[in-house]
Amino acid sequence: MRAERRGSTAALFGSELLTLFRRRRTVALLAALALIPVLIGVAIRLAGDAGSGRGPAFLDQITNNGLFVGVTAIIVAIPLFLPLTIGVVAGDTIAGEASHGTLRYLLIAPAGRLRLLAVKYLSAGVFCLAASLTVVVVGTLVGWALFPIGPVTLLSGSTVSVGEGLLRLLGIAAYVCVSLLGLSAIGLFLSTLTTVPVGAMAATAILAVVAQIIGALPQLDWLHPWLFSEHWLGFADLLRDPVQWASFADNALLQAGYILVFGALACGRFLTKDILS
Amino acid sequence: MRDQSSRTQNSTASRTFSRWIPAIVAPIVIGVGVILVPMQATAAVDLPDKTPAELVQFAAESPAQPLSGTIEQRSELGLPDLSGLTGALGGAGGDGSSAPAAASSADLEQLLSLALGSHTARVYLDGPNARLQVLDPLAERNVYRNADGVWIYDSAEKAATHITVDQAAVEALKAELQTGHADAGAGAEMPTPEAMLDQALARLDESTAVTVGTDALVAGRAAYELVLTPRDSGTLVGQISVAIDGQTGTALAASVTARGADTPAFSIAFTDVTFAAPDPAVFAFTPPAGTAVTEKPIPVPTAAELQQAKAEAGSGDAGSVDSAAKPVLHGTGWTTVVELPAGALGAPASGPLDTVTQPVDGGRVLTTSLVTVLFTSDGRAFAGAVDVATLQAAASAPAASSGR
Repeated sequence: MRAERRGSTAALFGSELLTLFRRRRTVALLAALALIPVLIGVAIRLAGDAGSGRGPAFLDQITNNGLFVGVTAIIVAIPLFLPLTIGVVAGDTIAGEASHGTLRYLLIAPAGRLRLLAVKYLSAGVFCLAASLTVVVVGTLVGWALFPIGPVTLLSGSTVSVGEGLLRLLGIAAYVCVSLLGLSAIGLFLSTLTTVPVGAMAATAILAVVAQIIGALPQLDWLHPWLFSEHWLGFADLLRDPVQWASFADNALLQAGYILVFGALACGRFLTKDILS
Repeated sequence: MRDQSSRTQNSTASRTFSRWIPAIVAPIVIGVGVILVPMQATAAVDLPDKTPAELVQFAAESPAQPLSGTIEQRSELGLPDLSGLTGALGGAGGDGSSAPAAASSADLEQLLSLALGSHTARVYLDGPNARLQVLDPLAERNVYRNADGVWIYDSAEKAATHITVDQAAVEALKAELQTGHADAGAGAEMPTPEAMLDQALARLDESTAVTVGTDALVAGRAAYELVLTPRDSGTLVGQISVAIDGQTGTALAASVTARGADTPAFSIAFTDVTFAAPDPAVFAFTPPAGTAVTEKPIPVPTAAELQQAKAEAGSGDAGSVDSAAKPVLHGTGWTTVVELPAGALGAPASGPLDTVTQPVDGGRVLTTSLVTVLFTSDGRAFAGAVDVATLQAAASAPAASSGR
């Protein structure tokens, strides 16, 4: 019975992922994210170096080393574009089904609400990974195509091989994915509150922006360690020598806290909700 | 489903409640964790008692340990905006002042922001090798000290400065620095000859009450607390506290609290520390391709020059020395006022200076909770851990006697 249930959970998760990534909207979101490194790469290729100290960090390194396209793209994408796409996907999880009237049918099967919620959250998490990988991988490919590729100069001034540079880029993608998991949990909770998916999407994206505005106000610095966006730019610690794993751990702990709190809230709401559609 | 719930409303209500339990418990668990973990870090510890003299000696005689650790430096000096004064404090936003001509003032800015800013840094020490790795957001500043000299590398500016010093001169400078700083108790990190220690302690006692505070955990290690309280009520400094590791005698934390304040205006402390030799690779530095390298050999001061400098520091009031570049000291102890003659301060600082200073009688003043700096209208600068009135008095006194 239990094995059967696990099998059906996996099947539910699989079909959920298929539905998510087959949607034109998901593909469009990923394509929009892929456009960021393409734009950066092409603009710098055509217009040349912007000069030291201008534009986002690492922008001036791209002409020397194409591997920095991905890093620059992540820096550009993380304040708005990535949270926006996460907001769309996470805000849609439950509210989207409710608005389509398909939530009832999902729950008719002996699936159980908790299981559905978990599967929905996991698929949103997979989208986080897909989104951050898209930016980094497309950035690396664009950089590879347009600029010379060579040993990577780290922030500490030491240089590592291309292979290790690529590994560190993958590490950055993982860091960014973890960074977005807390926001996904918030989106999931907001999605259980409403049957209008746009509301949950907008609320999630707005929260991401609000958190960063609060993070920029020194008057509220007592609040900063609690913001889910606090460590978003901390992935630079993976570009140091030696690598500073402390911020990765801090970030993971913070996001786990958000997943715990908003996951529990989402459970409370979704398990007690009257499903009418 | 609705019919059911209306029939068995009671059990449904309790079931509804039970489903919200995780949502109630999760924040509580996190809250308890957030409160308990720091409590563990500040748990009471008890080290064998030491008198202040024993503690200072213990710290001074302990050999420098190879270590690696994370340092948090927090400064709330009450400065309006230090970044206006020091330029690239944020690290990420370069202001393009990397031209070789401006290198000298840029170096000063770098050192100022390193010394006075708030930041997190990694520290590696192993014998003669040392490295300070300042973890700026999306950037990094590094100070490497190895057999090759001293390298300062700034990733935001992509600039490296290579400072080479004659090793003998370094030793001499170190000795000089120790006598200079003994007043502030900063000699704790460096091994000092016993005679020098006794002398320093005796001199310290004239101006400062030295006590041993409560033992505490710093970076997870039991540490003594050495508290220096100035006896002179004219200074802005209320208290200086240094945490000394109970096992190795290494200084683990230091903080300066302004008179009448509860929280330190400036603090620097290890948040984690490991007493083991770090990987030698962390000390190696070769400037990466595309880096602007400035070579800067430091001229070696002769023994006579050092002797003169020492004599000046010892005599306190060196008003008779007629040197344009040399700072002049007024007063003694905690209320010492340093006078920089006209032209000693670089011109580039004067523009942004206006935004951080306030006009007062006889010039402009920069007030912080610990240090006050007076820039007189005739170009001189007076600084000290005192209030504005003391600085103004110092500014007017020598002008009257020397008839300037």
